[in-house]
Amino acid sequence: MKKWLMVVAAVVVVSCSSIDCPVNSLVLTQYQFTSSGGQALSLLDTLTVATTRKDGSDTVFNKGVNISTFYLPISYSHPEDKLVFHFDGEGQHVTDTLWIKKDDIPHFESVDCNASFFHRLTDIRCSHNCLDSVVIINPSVTNDDTVIHVYLYPKTGD
Amino acid sequence: MTILLSMSTSIRRLAISLLLIVMAMGTQAQMKFFTLQKDSIPFFRGFAVSFDLVGAGMLALSDYGQYEAALRVNLHDEWFPIVEAGIGKANHDDEVTRIYYSTSAPYFKIGIDKNMLKDKHGPNRLYLGLRYGFTSYQVDIARPDFTDPVWKWDTGYGIKDAACKYHWAEILVGIDAKIFGPLHLGWSVRYKRRLSHSEEGDLDRTWYVPGFGTYDTSLGGTFNVIIDI
Repeated sequence: MKKWLMVVAAVVVVSCSSIDCPVNSLVLTQYQFTSSGGQALSLLDTLTVATTRKDGSDTVFNKGVNISTFYLPISYSHPEDKLVFHFDGEGQHVTDTLWIKKDDIPHFESVDCNASFFHRLTDIRCSHNCLDSVVIINPSVTNDDTVIHVYLYPKTGD
Repeated sequence: MTILLSMSTSIRRLAISLLLIVMAMGTQAQMKFFTLQKDSIPFFRGFAVSFDLVGAGMLALSDYGQYEAALRVNLHDEWFPIVEAGIGKANHDDEVTRIYYSTSAPYFKIGIDKNMLKDKHGPNRLYLGLRYGFTSYQVDIARPDFTDPVWKWDTGYGIKDAACKYHWAEILVGIDAKIFGPLHLGWSVRYKRRLSHSEEGDLDRTWYVPGFGTYDTSLGGTFNVIIDI
């Protein structure tokens, strides 16, 4: 009987339950300035990114200097996000606008974890003042912050 | 959406694991374990039906639980092939996250118990058993509209009738005691492991699985009212 009690005790010990919410619950899109050869480029200008919210325009990325990659938020449920990139160089101010179309996917971990959305990027386009082109590299936007989603190709000489 | 482990892989792993366990046991012990005791008691000893009170109690007192019944065959008071079937339900509205989760579906388990007592034909039994369980179910997940923290627009959130499948295995230790006549009472403690699962669309996993319980729990139990027929 002692042997069986030990078996039951072992089962109880190895069994456990836990709340398993992800450590990183932020869902962000990662962008990278890239050369035509595929190398990451450091931006010499100061970059600020703004968008149009329900209550007006607001900054979502403020005064990044000497950056090559950066994260921007993505809206929960808008079919298309509009992002305005402000490039500030030596006495110069140039803006470019990005339009990002996407599908929004409700993401469920557990009833104990807050509701969130993952996204699938379907289309991207931009104006061409400073940027030459933009390309979706990885369309799936999740809480994995190691993934680069969009390459930004600056115009040559900018 | 994702099948983390294919069914064939899971079954193959389970079979290999069981085979290794059996191989690890001495040949003599194997023979003793699988050989029926030699006596004048007939091989077929009848059927028993049972009903689980723990799952029904959980359903009455909490947001989820199950009604479960079983049919068990008695082979020489030593081996007990068993079929368990039930309906698992969840209807949970979380106060903190405000996520509503609902499902209701049947599930099925098949398996076998072995009476481990030396006195096989006595009024009481101590079981060691295995189960394979399966359910196909649909899930509704919803939340009241909430505000996008950056864009500030109200956002709806919901998943409707997502079709899911779940396969799992259980190992159990149980006791069965004769009360009077054909009536027995018994309990079991069960360790459960998922073998494979699949969810429709982009749902990564579900919270409550009918028959298995919540995804983060690996221990379960039953308290059975058993009647010999």
